[in-house]
Amino acid sequence: MIFYRMMRRNAAKLTGDRSAMLDLAHGRLVALSSFFAIIYMVLAVRAFDVSVVQAKFWNMEDAGAIVVAEAPEGKRRGSIYDRNGNMLATSLDMASLYADPYLIADPEKTARGLSDIFPSLNFGKTLRSLQSARRFVWIERNISPRQQEAVMQLGEPGLAFRYEEKRVYPAKNEMAHLVGMTNVDGRGLAGVERSFDRMLAKGQDVTLSLDMRLQHALHREVGKAIDDFNAMGGAGVIMDAHTGEVLAGVSLPDFNPHEPGLSEAAAHFNRLTLGVYELGSVFKIFSTAAFLETHDVPMSTTFDAREPIKVGRFTISDYHAEERILTVPEVFMVSSNIGSAMMGQAVGGQRLRQFYEDLGLLSAMNVEVAEVASPLVPDRWGEVATMTASYGHGIATTPLNVAAAVATVVNGGYLIEPTFVHAGEGGKARNNRNKISVISEETSYKMRELMRLVVTDGTGKNADVPGYRLGGKTGTAEKSGAGGYQRKKLISSFVGAFPINDPRYVVMVAVDEPKGNKKSYGYATAGWVAAPAVQRLVKTMANILGMAPDYDAPSYEHPLRQYVALEG
Amino acid sequence: MSIRIEEDRGLLSRLQRINWLMIGLITALASIGFACLYSAAGGSLSPWASRQMMRFAIGLGAMLFIAMMPTRFWFRMAWPCYAAGLVLLLIVEVMGHIGMGAQRWINLGFINLQPSEVMKIAVIMVLARYYHLTSRYHVSEWHSLITPAIIVFAPVCLVMFQPDLGTALMIIMGAAAMVFIAGAPFRWFAYATGAVIAIIPLAWHFMHDYQKKRVMTFLNPESDPLGAGYHIMQSKIALGSGGISGKGFLEGSQSRLNFLPEKQTDFIFTLWVEEWGLIGGLALLLLCGIIFIYGVWIALQCKNKFSRYLTLGLMINFSLYVFINTGMVMGLLPVVGVPLPLVSYGGTSMLSCMIAFGLIMSCEIDRSLKIKAI
Repeated sequence: MIFYRMMRRNAAKLTGDRSAMLDLAHGRLVALSSFFAIIYMVLAVRAFDVSVVQAKFWNMEDAGAIVVAEAPEGKRRGSIYDRNGNMLATSLDMASLYADPYLIADPEKTARGLSDIFPSLNFGKTLRSLQSARRFVWIERNISPRQQEAVMQLGEPGLAFRYEEKRVYPAKNEMAHLVGMTNVDGRGLAGVERSFDRMLAKGQDVTLSLDMRLQHALHREVGKAIDDFNAMGGAGVIMDAHTGEVLAGVSLPDFNPHEPGLSEAAAHFNRLTLGVYELGSVFKIFSTAAFLETHDVPMSTTFDAREPIKVGRFTISDYHAEERILTVPEVFMVSSNIGSAMMGQAVGGQRLRQFYEDLGLLSAMNVEVAEVASPLVPDRWGEVATMTASYGHGIATTPLNVAAAVATVVNGGYLIEPTFVHAGEGGKARNNRNKISVISEETSYKMRELMRLVVTDGTGKNADVPGYRLGGKTGTAEKSGAGGYQRKKLISSFVGAFPINDPRYVVMVAVDEPKGNKKSYGYATAGWVAAPAVQRLVKTMANILGMAPDYDAPSYEHPLRQYVALEG
Repeated sequence: MSIRIEEDRGLLSRLQRINWLMIGLITALASIGFACLYSAAGGSLSPWASRQMMRFAIGLGAMLFIAMMPTRFWFRMAWPCYAAGLVLLLIVEVMGHIGMGAQRWINLGFINLQPSEVMKIAVIMVLARYYHLTSRYHVSEWHSLITPAIIVFAPVCLVMFQPDLGTALMIIMGAAAMVFIAGAPFRWFAYATGAVIAIIPLAWHFMHDYQKKRVMTFLNPESDPLGAGYHIMQSKIALGSGGISGKGFLEGSQSRLNFLPEKQTDFIFTLWVEEWGLIGGLALLLLCGIIFIYGVWIALQCKNKFSRYLTLGLMINFSLYVFINTGMVMGLLPVVGVPLPLVSYGGTSMLSCMIAFGLIMSCEIDRSLKIKAI
């Protein structure tokens, strides 16, 4: 009985335990399974995290892991052409190197490799930027294909390329001032690049009035004059006398637009449009024209140049003093300051000023480059100012102002506003066709005769090119500095036009601070410095432009010679 | 003491009871592997996909053979299998010394057998048998842990010597899960967790440099993106570049351009996600999860403890593989050389998986069988 009860109790205990055990086992099983199911879900969430949420983070360096060539976005900047369709500036796709420091395993090794490839890179600086916490660091912009290849050989996944536009200037230095340049972001900084920035940025091309061939010739001749006379700098321009199109424009020293940073600041200065100089005797073209325009007198009219003129505390004397009574052609030919001052007096201050203003000499030119300077004009146009302005002192303008005014004087007397844009582009040349008459046809004709006389018999003999009938005027001005004018620091210039009987081209060369050499017998004056440069230039131009020489109008039979007292 | 054994089923009867759904799920998972290997080879069956298919076919045969054997047979074979595993481990240990380096496998001609893979299954079989024979009352007594401890640590020590920390930890984790299911008190697991935390500094001291580096890299993969962190950085880049819908089949540039190391073995999940995106990755995880849940359901159908523990132990082992592999490639766990079951290229992994599923099927066929110990 007891045994039986014990058995029953045991049995009861057994069955109870059995079910409890089963419950426990099932409980444990379900708990563990649930735990595992949760882990599966965690993994699913992580998969979402890695492939979607963090994807943004990783996609940026997709290019870092795989070098994928990106197509450049947006419109490519427009090109700049010369009048003959030669390319002066264009955009190419260039690789720029950047790093994702986050992905760079060995910054030191990488920095070393990079500084070997790019000599301009500083090892320490590069290392610091590679060790920085940023995700994007420019290493070098606009690298060459060879450098890109070398970088790829480094095999560093943290280095990658962005493709960017690089501005290329096939003419390099020769066009640097006028065409200008862009910054690394492709925005125009100077010259036409700046003034036409919006148009170019939209992808439109610009065709300039410049002629690459003439530009090269002008660049060479101005450069040669500077070299020959050990000058500080120079400027030159070739202009179409009828349309005002600038066919060539040079300012020296110049710079390489690909590496503007390598040249000094002075080289970036555009002397042609931004340089304001007292250009001296070339202004006699304008004062003489003013005199002839306002006084219906014969060429035989004389001026007493025997004595220097004293006005207040100033004394006006001649450089090539003739110390005699001079006719109008003689005044112009020998470049008599006294005679010109008298002409200016005769015209009168207000009228002379108005005349200069009509020629565009007193205001900043409205041209298509940003670098334009306003002339320096006397505040009070009194007697002294009138007289000095007659021979180009006390008044300072840019060489381009002078060239444009000369074009106006010689082309029959209608106003020329210079332009750098091809006439076909609808630029200023269209205005010039409106033919706003500034001086009479007759005065223009007389001025052409006078300018021719300067080359045949006067100070500009060294500029003559037989068969091309160049006419012009020399100008040797003392540069003003502290304590007045400096006799040794000159600006020697020559401005001319040819063929003078029907001028097509105005040419001008100005040289800053030339020093006399053996060949010039120590002279640094315009007749020795600028005139020969113009002579060489005209010869080259004739060849380039295919102009046949015309010997029919003999240079030695100048109609104005009758008014000139011939010596020896 | 005698063992009363119920009648075993005949061969025909067993064939009829084969779980074709499970075979379908396994084949689907393996097919993902085939697709990945085809893509990893740049759209070619050789060198990986064709061999993997062959191994799967052989594995299917092995699985069916194992399933045809009665559970009772595997119950009896537990200890012999375990002993054979230990011998094989000892052999590679000796050969490893001769070979001057980590030697984890034995070349059987048609397959490079890793004894540690076999050992994992053997440990689970022995533990299942042990807890089948151990009464519930004894499970909560501390001395019931002595035998399992010996069962587990003998192979673990040998595997650690190989050295293969990952496999050793997996054997321990699988065994711990089985001890938990068998009903060991919760507090033991709390003690064990505390002990592990206490041991970490000591373990760190004994770890190999490459193991330390892996842990450090796991903690901060960016510290060495080209060295130890390279794998995981590249893996994350590939996963991220897949996005939601992926780059498309055969379009995974990270994997195909060899930025991804071990793309056909341990990092095959990355390759899959790069090409099939988040959707593909979730589908793969879901498939593994379904296999796991289905395995658990099978375990719950089993009337005897051995079958239940064995099935569950094997499914836990399977899931641990999935967790560690996918967790590793997604940067949740340190880089340890654990393949993705059935998907990764590799003979032993495929074969051991198929053996495990064979055992599970055998258990399922004999689910109403009661193996009684009296």
